[in-house]
Amino acid sequence: MASSVAQKRLFHEYKNLSTNPPEGITAGPVSEDDMFYWEALIEGPGGTPFEGGVFAAELKFPKDYPLSPPTMKFVGGGVWHPNVYPNGTVCISILHPPGDDPNHYEHASERWSPIQSVEKILISVMSMLAEPNDESPANVEAAKMWRERRAEYEQKVRDEVRKGLGL
Amino acid sequence: MQEDEPSLNIPSLLTLAVVSFFVLRWFFNRDEGSSAGGRPRGRGNVVDPAQVEQIAQMFPQLSTRDIMWDLQRNGGSVAATTERILTGRGLETPPPSFQPQIVLPSANAQPTQATRAAPASKGDGQDLISRYNLSGKIIADSNTEQAPTAASTSAWSQNKEERQRLLQKRRDEMILAARRKMVQKDQGKSQ
Repeated sequence: MASSVAQKRLFHEYKNLSTNPPEGITAGPVSEDDMFYWEALIEGPGGTPFEGGVFAAELKFPKDYPLSPPTMKFVGGGVWHPNVYPNGTVCISILHPPGDDPNHYEHASERWSPIQSVEKILISVMSMLAEPNDESPANVEAAKMWRERRAEYEQKVRDEVRKGLGL
Repeated sequence: MQEDEPSLNIPSLLTLAVVSFFVLRWFFNRDEGSSAGGRPRGRGNVVDPAQVEQIAQMFPQLSTRDIMWDLQRNGGSVAATTERILTGRGLETPPPSFQPQIVLPSANAQPTQATRAAPASKGDGQDLISRYNLSGKIIADSNTEQAPTAASTSAWSQNKEERQRLLQKRRDEMILAARRKMVQKDQGKSQ
């Protein structure tokens, strides 16, 4: 029962994302046989060192989606960013369930709720790339570099972007 | 003859009225009885406070009593209640006789800290070109030397395989377009 609700909802979101895709975002299930496993491509936002890049991420949805949020993990080339773990897992408030706020700095409205969507997650991740939040870094090393040696950070990101495109 | 008809009709009408009064009264009493009290215990439909809490957290504007009523009626399915709220049907107001039998442990959100992913150091250093097998297309791309097909606007089909193909095409095009742009930028710089 619960998983058919999730499947219906995911299919609906897939359809919306395909017929009316937001700028710089492509997302959908890897195979429709498993609606709980998606892959997304996000363009690096303009005016940032991520500009011109394309980043692939996998989204894994729980069986009780949309009650619980999916997890999102960048795959392929690494994303050197304060809010992305070295293994690619994205750490932003919209991916945290409503009750889960160990640090007490996130507003409830920023966190996951069923009125959010895959599209909103991907747009949030896009703006996260542009504006890191270094209050709770997932990648301490990247956060430190971003804070103290910005030029080096930006160069590293640009290198990663090119590597991701096979250049 | 003339006085026979009315004298026959009045008693029969009276009887009918009395009988229907009792029938209706029995009917309504039974309904009230089943919705109040008797049902939750009888069918084991006790509302789980954790479920109520879960929904109340997502939709703080709703009264917990409405949530409990809906949960009790759909057999304790959080998903169904959420679906109902999200589709805009809203929750019904429970009848006054509905007395929820549980007390909410209000400030009791259990922290699920375990969801925070543990950092693993190794990334799979693979670029998108090899990931999606695009090297062949890059060569074809550079031969035609010009931006192919304008990005397909709406990519949806009733056919499952066709949808899959369209998604893959959009994905490939997005990567190839980014790569093309980057190469052009490099060429512009070196000239």
